[in-house]
Amino acid sequence: MPNSPRAPRRSLSALVTALAVVVAGCAGDLSTGDLQGVVIEEPTPKPAFTLTDTEGEPYDFASETEGRVTLLYFGYLNCPDICPVHLAQIAEVFDREPEVARETDVVFVSVDPDRDSPEAIREFLDNFDTDFIGLTGTRKELDAAQSAAGVPKAVLVGEGEDYTVDHAGWVIAYAADGLNHSIYPFGVRQSEWANDLQILTEIQG
Amino acid sequence: MRRAVAVLCALAVVGLVTGCQGPGGIAVTHARVGVPAGPNAALYFTAANEGGETDVLIGASSDVAGGVEIHETTQAEDGTMRMRPVTGLDLPAGETLSLQPGGLHVMLIDVEPLEEGEDIAVTLHWESAGDMEVEAEVVSPAETVTDEQDHG
Repeated sequence: MPNSPRAPRRSLSALVTALAVVVAGCAGDLSTGDLQGVVIEEPTPKPAFTLTDTEGEPYDFASETEGRVTLLYFGYLNCPDICPVHLAQIAEVFDREPEVARETDVVFVSVDPDRDSPEAIREFLDNFDTDFIGLTGTRKELDAAQSAAGVPKAVLVGEGEDYTVDHAGWVIAYAADGLNHSIYPFGVRQSEWANDLQILTEIQG
Repeated sequence: MRRAVAVLCALAVVGLVTGCQGPGGIAVTHARVGVPAGPNAALYFTAANEGGETDVLIGASSDVAGGVEIHETTQAEDGTMRMRPVTGLDLPAGETLSLQPGGLHVMLIDVEPLEEGEDIAVTLHWESAGDMEVEAEVVSPAETVTDEQDHG
């Protein structure tokens, strides 16, 4: 196993249990409200990190997205499987629910700085939604951002140009109050996104 | 006898409509590929082995890609998603194999730009059934998930 990543701050068993709830269709645990994602029992604040956006400008994540529902996802452009599905599903929900789209920032952080230039990230994201925000940085900055966000650090695997990147598979959601109330492992349905994004806009600080 | 021929013809038509039937009894349906946003795209499909023996998908090729590999995505205990090449996929007689997002896919590497709605040809290489050309529809990555995975 390559470079064992640090366990995420959230307990794995909570993740797995909650994942089971998502898979089972979330028959109501009313104490978690009506969120259908994996609910974080003790919501955490937005991580403090500054990376570089696709215009080459510094992007202070917490301050740029202040007061807005924010979806944070770490991925890479050569990823053909789960990254585009996550992003395309969110984009389709946005197409159907323009009010939700207006209230929500989607921030995609490339964890493959050697291959993914800011221009390439912009082009990649424009396939889904031209308002999606793309970030990159040095490997050290990206490691710090992942650590601050509580996800395992991405690990490059393989030789030469065709390496793949092991990376966190879930989308982190922050409500309008700036807190992370729920996360979305791969497999979340569009109906669940639509439901939860609406609720996240209503959780005010 | 004539009736038997008619039934066979009807079955053949069904075969054409629902997918591609290879010489070794492999039927491939629901072949789709997500519009590539980056350099690579993923092909998904369902393969049923209607023959009497296990067959193995050993590779694939396509004119629209610089290279083609079979991959499996798995989730590690800490939630990390890992994608790894797979050398062969066993498909036992009478069983069905579903390639779908978050699991198995055929990766089209350095793929040409593809438009939603077009069909691309991919040749699947089976150990026993040999080469089988399938037509895959190019769809939004959001539409590559199966009904069980979404639209709930």
